[in-house]
Amino acid sequence: TTLRAATWLPPSNPQNTTVWPTWAKWVEEATEGRVKVVVEDYTGHPKTLFSAVEDGILDVASTVNTYLPGRFKLPSVAEIPGEISSAEGGSVALWKTYQEYFVEADEYDGLKVLSMFVHGPGQMHTKFPVNTLADMKGKKMRIGGGLVNELAARLEVTPVNAPATKSYEMLQQGVVDGTFLPAQEQKALRLTEVTTDLTLFPKGLYTTAFTIFMNPDFFEGLSPEDQEAIMSVSGEKLARLAGSAWGAADAEGIATAKEAGIHVVELSPDDPRVVEMHKLAEGIDQQWIKDVADRKVDAAAALAAFRKYVAEEEEKAAKP
Amino acid sequence: MTVVLIGFAILLLLIIGLRLPIAIAMGLVGFFGFAVLQGLTLDTLFTFNWKAALTLASNRITETVQDYGLSVIPLFILMGNLITRAGLSQKLYDASYAFLGHRKGGLAMSTVLACGGFSAICGSSLATAATMSKVAMPPMRRFGYDDSLAAASIAAGGTLGILIPPSVILVIYGLLTETSIRELFAAGFLPGLLGVLLYLLAVRYVVWRHPERGPAGKAFSWPERLRALSGVWGVLALFALVMGGIYLGVFTPTEAAGVGAGGAFLIALFRKTLSLGVVFEVFSDTARTSAMLFAVVIGALIFSDFINRAGFTDLLVSYVASLQVAPIVVILVILGIYILLGMVFESLSMLLLTVPVFYPLVAELGFNLVWFGIVVVVVTEISLITPPVGMNVFVLSAVLKDIRTGTIFRGVTPFWVADIVRLLLIVFIAQIALFLPDLLYR
Amino acid sequence: MTGKQPINVEEESMAFRAWLDAHYRERGLFMWLAFSLELVAVITLFLLMLLTCADVTGRYLFNNSIDGAIELTRIGLAIMVFAELPVISWRGGHVVVDLLDSIVSHRLIRVFSMLAALLIATSLYFVAWRIWELAERSLRRGEVTEYLKFPEGYLIYYIALMSWVTAATMITYGIYHLWVTPSDNQLVSD
Ligand code: NA
Ligand code: NA
Repeated sequence: TTLRAATWLPPSNPQNTTVWPTWAKWVEEATEGRVKVVVEDYTGHPKTLFSAVEDGILDVASTVNTYLPGRFKLPSVAEIPGEISSAEGGSVALWKTYQEYFVEADEYDGLKVLSMFVHGPGQMHTKFPVNTLADMKGKKMRIGGGLVNELAARLEVTPVNAPATKSYEMLQQGVVDGTFLPAQEQKALRLTEVTTDLTLFPKGLYTTAFTIFMNPDFFEGLSPEDQEAIMSVSGEKLARLAGSAWGAADAEGIATAKEAGIHVVELSPDDPRVVEMHKLAEGIDQQWIKDVADRKVDAAAALAAFRKYVAEEEEKAAKP
Repeated sequence: MTVVLIGFAILLLLIIGLRLPIAIAMGLVGFFGFAVLQGLTLDTLFTFNWKAALTLASNRITETVQDYGLSVIPLFILMGNLITRAGLSQKLYDASYAFLGHRKGGLAMSTVLACGGFSAICGSSLATAATMSKVAMPPMRRFGYDDSLAAASIAAGGTLGILIPPSVILVIYGLLTETSIRELFAAGFLPGLLGVLLYLLAVRYVVWRHPERGPAGKAFSWPERLRALSGVWGVLALFALVMGGIYLGVFTPTEAAGVGAGGAFLIALFRKTLSLGVVFEVFSDTARTSAMLFAVVIGALIFSDFINRAGFTDLLVSYVASLQVAPIVVILVILGIYILLGMVFESLSMLLLTVPVFYPLVAELGFNLVWFGIVVVVVTEISLITPPVGMNVFVLSAVLKDIRTGTIFRGVTPFWVADIVRLLLIVFIAQIALFLPDLLYR
Repeated sequence: MTGKQPINVEEESMAFRAWLDAHYRERGLFMWLAFSLELVAVITLFLLMLLTCADVTGRYLFNNSIDGAIELTRIGLAIMVFAELPVISWRGGHVVVDLLDSIVSHRLIRVFSMLAALLIATSLYFVAWRIWELAERSLRRGEVTEYLKFPEGYLIYYIALMSWVTAATMITYGIYHLWVTPSDNQLVSD
C-alpha cells in the first residue's frame, strides 16, 4: 500500500528534512515494507488539508489547527503565552493532554488523529532593540493569529495580520517593524537580512499547535497488524520526533542569527522584561477556558494536566 | 507519464480545436485526469467514488475566490478603469505622444517602460496587464497603432516587473531553496533592465519591418510638449502615491491596489466625470473582468493538481538526472522543459511544483542557486506570454473583449524572442546576474 | 410642491428604464436578474475599495488597523466573483483561445459555444452539490472566521447557490442567447 502524505512547508523546514522522512522509515520498518510513504507537495491553502484528507485526496497531512477557528479550539491550550519552554516538551504534553481530555470532544470528527506537536516558543524579531516592553508600544508587528493576538493587544503594538511567509517582504519594505515567530525563522525565512534584533523570552510569547491526521477509510483499509504498526510509530513517539526536530531548528536559527551579526538577546527568567511579560499574559489562560466552554471538557483540569506534563518533560530534559 | 501526455494533448485539443473556454477546459482535464489517477476507468465510470475529485475541485473554487492575495486583480483593474473613465489615460498618452510620437513605435516603447515600472513596484504581472490594458490600449489605438503591437507591448511589458526587485516570485524562490533573498534581489536588477532594453529593441524591430504598426506622428515644439504635460499631473500623482506608498512601506502591494483604486475614484470624482450610471458601469465592468480571470486561475490550479498527482515533475527530474552529458547541457534541457511547461502552466504553480525538485540537482551540478533563481524567474516571465495558456494575454483578452487572443499572441512573438535571447545571455554570461550580488554582499 | 414630486419620480424611473435598456443587452426577467447581480457586485467592490483605504489610513495615521480587514476582503471577493459568474457565463464571456477562428466557420464556432455552455452548466451543477455538502459540514463543525466569527459555511452555501444559478441560466437563456446573438468572445469575428 502507498500512503500519500502531504506537505505544504518549504523543503528546508524540519517537517520535510526530518519529520516526514523519519516517520516514513518507521512506518515502512514497522509494517515490514507493506506500507510505503510518499510525500507529495500541496499547493492549496493549508487549511483545506483537513477536508482533503477527510475526503481521500490525500491519506495523511499535518497542518495548523487555528487555520479553522471555531472547529479546533482545544489544542490551543498549548498556545497560551508562556506555557511551553521547548517544542519537544510542549508537543509531548499536548499529545498526552489530547488523549486524556480532548478525544471525547470529537473536534476531529472525520479524521484519524495520529499525533500533535508545537513549534518552538514564538519570539520577537525586530528592527529595533527591545530594551523594555514599552519599546514595543505603537510598533507595527506582523502576527499570524491565535491567542498571541491578545498578547499583542496588551503590548499595545499595531498588529498587521499576514502569513509568516510574508514576513520578509513586509519587513524589507518597512510595512512592519517586526514579526512574532519561532527562532528557526531567522534562518528559514532569512530574517537575518531584514531584522536587527532577536529577543528571546525563556518561554516565548506563544506557539502554534499542529495536528497530524489520517483519512479514516485509509486506516480501516489496512490490516489490523499494519494499523497497530502505524500507531506504534505515531502518537507520543511522533510528537517527540516532530517537537525535537522543530526545536533543533530553533537552535540553528539562533546560531545563524548570531553569525549574521543579529543582536541576539537571551533573557534570563528574572529579567524585568520577562517578569513584565508574565504579568501582561496573566489571565489569557482564563480566556482559553472561556473559549472552550462549549466543549464537553473539564478545561481547568486539562490545563492543569498540560502544565504538569510540561513540567515533567522539563525535568526529564534537565537530567543529564 | 502517459496519463500526463494524454492530458496535455486533450487540453490542447479542447482549447484550440474545440475553442472551449480556458477555465472549463483546464478544470475538466484536471478533474478527470485526477479521477483517472484515482482509479477511474471506463468500466468503473458508474461505480467510481467521485468524492475526492469533487472535493479537490470544490476546495480550489472556494479557496481561490477567497484568496486575499488575488484581491489585487479587481482593485488594480478598477484603478485602470477609473483612470481611463476620467480621461486621464488619454491625457497621459497625449503627453507621451508630444514627446515620443515623432518616433516610430514611440508610444509602444513608452508603454513598455510604463508597464515595466508599474509591475516592478506592484510585483504582479497580472495586475499590471489588467491596469494598463485599459489605460494604454485605447489611446494607442487612437494614434493609429496596430492592435497586435499595442496589446503585445502591454502583455509583455507587464512581465518585466516580476524580476525587477522587489519581487514576490524571488522571495518565494528564496524561501523554497534557502537562498539569500537580498542577493536574489540584487541579481535580478541587471537582467531586469536587460529585459526592458531588449523589449525596446523588439519594438524597434517591429516598426522597422512594419512601419504602419507604430506610425510616427509630427514633432511637437517644446512649448506644446510642456502644455501637454499639464494634463497628466493627476495620473502621475496617483502612480506616485501607489508606488511611493509601497516603496516607503506605508502599505503592502496588495493594499496598494485598494488605495490606488480609492485615489483614482477621488480624482475621477474631482474631475466631475462620474455620474451614478458611470460609476455602476465602471464597477460592474471591473467585476465582470475579474470574475473571468478568477475562473481561469481556478481552472489552471485544478489542472496543476492533476499534473502534481501524476508525479510529472519527479519524472522529469529523474530523466534529467539520468542524462550523461555536460552540466551546461543539463541546464539547457531543464530550460527547454520549463519553456514547454510554460505552454500549459499558470506561472506560480509551475514554480511551486518544479523548483523544489530541480534545485537540489542544479546545486549538485555545481551551479550557483542565485543565478538559477534568476534564470527560473525569466522562464516564468516567458510562460506568461507563451501560447496557448499565457495568463497576461488572457488578461488583455478579458479586459478588451474586441481583441483576439490570436492577435495578441502574434504581436507577442518578437517580445518572446527577445526573452529567449535574454535567457541565453544570462545562462552563458552568469555575471549579468551575479555581478551585483558579488559586488554588494561578497 | 406635493404635486410636483411624483412627476419627478416618474421621470427618474423612465430615465432609469432607458439607462437599463441601453446598458443591458438582456431583456425582461434576465435584464433585471443581470442588473440585480451586478448591483451586488458593484456595491461589494465599492466597499472593498473603501475598506482597504480605511484600513491603511487607520494603521498609518492612528496606529489602529481594522480588525478582520483581511477576512472581510476575502468574503467580499467571493461575493463579487460569484455574483458576476452567471452574467459572464450566459453571455459566453469566458476567456477562449481563438487561434483558429480565421479558418473555422462562424456556424461551427457557434456550435462550439453551445458545447461550452452545456459543459460549464453540467460541471457547475455537479460540483455545486459537493460545495453545498462541504458548506453543511463546515457549519455543523462550527468553522468561523478568526475575527468576526462569521460562519464560513454561509459563504460556501452562497458559492454553491450561485453555481446553480449559473448552470440554470446558462442552459435556458444562455443557449437561447447564443443562438440569436454572438457571444462576447466572438463579437470580433461577426
Ligand atoms: Na517587482
Ligand atoms: Na503559458
